[in-house]
Amino acid sequence: VIPLRYNVRSLAVRKATTASTAGGIALVVFVLSASMMFTAGIKKTLGASGKPDEAIVLRMGSDAELGSVIEESSVPLILAAPGVKTDERGKPVAASEIVVVGAMEKLGANGVTNVSIRGVGDDVMHFRPEVHLVAGRPPQPGTDEAIVGSRIRGRIRGIELGQTFDIKKNRPVNVVGVFDADGSAYESEVWVDRELLRQTYGRLGMESSVRVRLTSPAAFDAFRAGVENDKRLGLQALRETTFYEKQSENAAMLFGVIGIVISVFFGIGAMIGAMITMYAAVANRQREIGTLRALGFSAPSVLVSFLLEAVLLSLLGGAVGAVASLAMALVHISIINFASWSEVVFSFHPTPQILGVAFFWAAMMGLVGGLLPALRAANTSPLKAIRG
Amino acid sequence: MTLVGLSVRNLARNKFRLLLTAAAVAVVVFAFLVLRTIEWAWASAADWAAKDRVVTRHKVTFVMELPKRYVEDVKNAPHIKTVTWANWFGGKDPKHEHEFFAALAVDAATYFTVYSEMSVPPADLDTWKHDRQGAIVGDVLARKMGWKVGDKIVLQSGIYPGDWTMNIDGIYEAKARSVDRSTFLFHWDYVNDSLPQGRRDGVGWIVSRVDEPGRVADVGVGLDKLFEDRETPTLSQDERSFQSSFLAMFSAILAAMDWISVILLLIVALILGNTIAMGVRERTSEYGVLRAIGFLPKHVAIWIVGESLVTGILGGLAGVALAWPLINLGFGRFIEENMGNFFPYFRLETANIVLALVLSALLGAAASTLPAWRATKLKVVEAVRRVA
Repeated sequence: VIPLRYNVRSLAVRKATTASTAGGIALVVFVLSASMMFTAGIKKTLGASGKPDEAIVLRMGSDAELGSVIEESSVPLILAAPGVKTDERGKPVAASEIVVVGAMEKLGANGVTNVSIRGVGDDVMHFRPEVHLVAGRPPQPGTDEAIVGSRIRGRIRGIELGQTFDIKKNRPVNVVGVFDADGSAYESEVWVDRELLRQTYGRLGMESSVRVRLTSPAAFDAFRAGVENDKRLGLQALRETTFYEKQSENAAMLFGVIGIVISVFFGIGAMIGAMITMYAAVANRQREIGTLRALGFSAPSVLVSFLLEAVLLSLLGGAVGAVASLAMALVHISIINFASWSEVVFSFHPTPQILGVAFFWAAMMGLVGGLLPALRAANTSPLKAIRG
Repeated sequence: MTLVGLSVRNLARNKFRLLLTAAAVAVVVFAFLVLRTIEWAWASAADWAAKDRVVTRHKVTFVMELPKRYVEDVKNAPHIKTVTWANWFGGKDPKHEHEFFAALAVDAATYFTVYSEMSVPPADLDTWKHDRQGAIVGDVLARKMGWKVGDKIVLQSGIYPGDWTMNIDGIYEAKARSVDRSTFLFHWDYVNDSLPQGRRDGVGWIVSRVDEPGRVADVGVGLDKLFEDRETPTLSQDERSFQSSFLAMFSAILAAMDWISVILLLIVALILGNTIAMGVRERTSEYGVLRAIGFLPKHVAIWIVGESLVTGILGGLAGVALAWPLINLGFGRFIEENMGNFFPYFRLETANIVLALVLSALLGAAASTLPAWRATKLKVVEAVRRVA
């Protein structure tokens, strides 16, 4: 077998060509892995919001909390359904909340954007142990104090520790704390006292959703039957994971498809680029190849050697592109979530699988692009080649 | 032989490499043209949108409704000529689950007065106005779904539960490019009367015609001021901005496309630069000979830049030749039929073709500057001695 060092040195000799071919592949890999990272970021943010042992109850026909209305009087009936977990004092572990969307002024960019405002009960931290304050203090129950998610902080006028913003015109609240929620969509929300929000928006005695902790994920079917069988309520129960999956489905698919289509087109271009380089390499090294064959290296080993060189070249590009795309993890992008009609901040989320796919795609570009040139190299007749 | 002639001869020396380079550039130029066309179609649809219409919706999203009595208030506002309203119905034909189209519940008496660029045969329009369960559909939608005037169909909706039986009373045609030819229009009264008392009398958005097109912005601000302190604040926009709010995510994608276009151009530059650099390296000794017999460095530079320029243009032309039939005859049609709301007219524009050709020529020239510069700096003696 021809030693790999031969290929490495060959690549190192023609620096400009190696760099521009690898550069083309790097750009393709960059676009591919950045788009996959963004899709993964959407799934992670919305997916982290759902837990398998939680169920969410909404009005029949609503697929988001925004359009859903549940009468407060129905809440005890929901909590009495089978499968709801109770705490040590025998109280059901649940959170009934009201969600509205407010139009607020963006900072650093012109225009208004929609922000989800969630009216929460006093024991919200008890129900969501993943939420914890990263700055400030918890709000006083029953006052106009608010806490804001860490991702939305500083993006909207007044949404920053110690500042004030309006949840409705002339209805200011004070931001006393900033919370983290394990990367979930809650981090793009504003939380205020439930009663305050109901009064402000004229929704006294109403909830948007009721979330319950189940005794186990398997208890969902019984719970659902209990809630949905009572037709007077007109309610539906969903697993929280299903609820958020539905929200991320469209966005994730859209970005995923765009990424794949673009990388295929780019990939063809870069693959031909690799082919050009490898054909030139084979043509320039006719004598070398002839000598190798004369020394006793077989045609298949010449073939393998040139294929390896092409793959090496493309993996070099792949590595550069993948490393560059990792830097995208620092970028945050906010888009309107279709289901809640409010802004959710997403980030690029790198995973080992994405890097794997990126490298695989780079290797494929090298392999396919290098195949024809390598075949030509393998078919070189030693005698002719040495004679020139 | 002239200087240019030599340049062209050089081009044809490695025909296979020229072919590969042009093919790679063509694929990338094709992708570039697709992206440009998407952006162009999006931006230019605004130019065809009616200039004298203002749309008033709930400040947060059109999914949330306005009270019906707002219509009267808008009618009485200054500079308003005619007013109509509509609700998003979100309809689906259960027989064609996956076909998406816009179904709107509209005010039959006024809708086609405000949207005068949609034309319905007068007799059909009259039938429709008197048929409470009647519907008027776009010609493209009717063809796609196989509906004819006189058909009875059933629609379902995620927002308004139940089966809605409708009669196709007429088919509208477009008198302007900006009209989506796939909308389903039916009586607002039909939906409203079937709703439970508490959900009645909500309108999705109010559309009004303004007496002077130049005043749309002022009138919008005036309307929002009127409703500012009422129970539901509004947002009034020109028609195009309103349509954009249906596809909120799209703005993020458009921003990404700008970046991707730049990356595409970089890939073209790398492919061209690589090809030219290889050609120059192989011919170094020839350039040495030419220099030795009296040609100046600038001649060498002209040959190299000229060769690259022509390669770039050839690739660009091939890309256009690929894109033109695919966009104008292939998926352009598909997009017009299926995404007519946002891209009523999706065609490859002359301006974009010119842009692609100019850019590929410029990139060709730019990519060759480095190899050309290096070739001019070569010492004649060294160049003659140099082995590729």
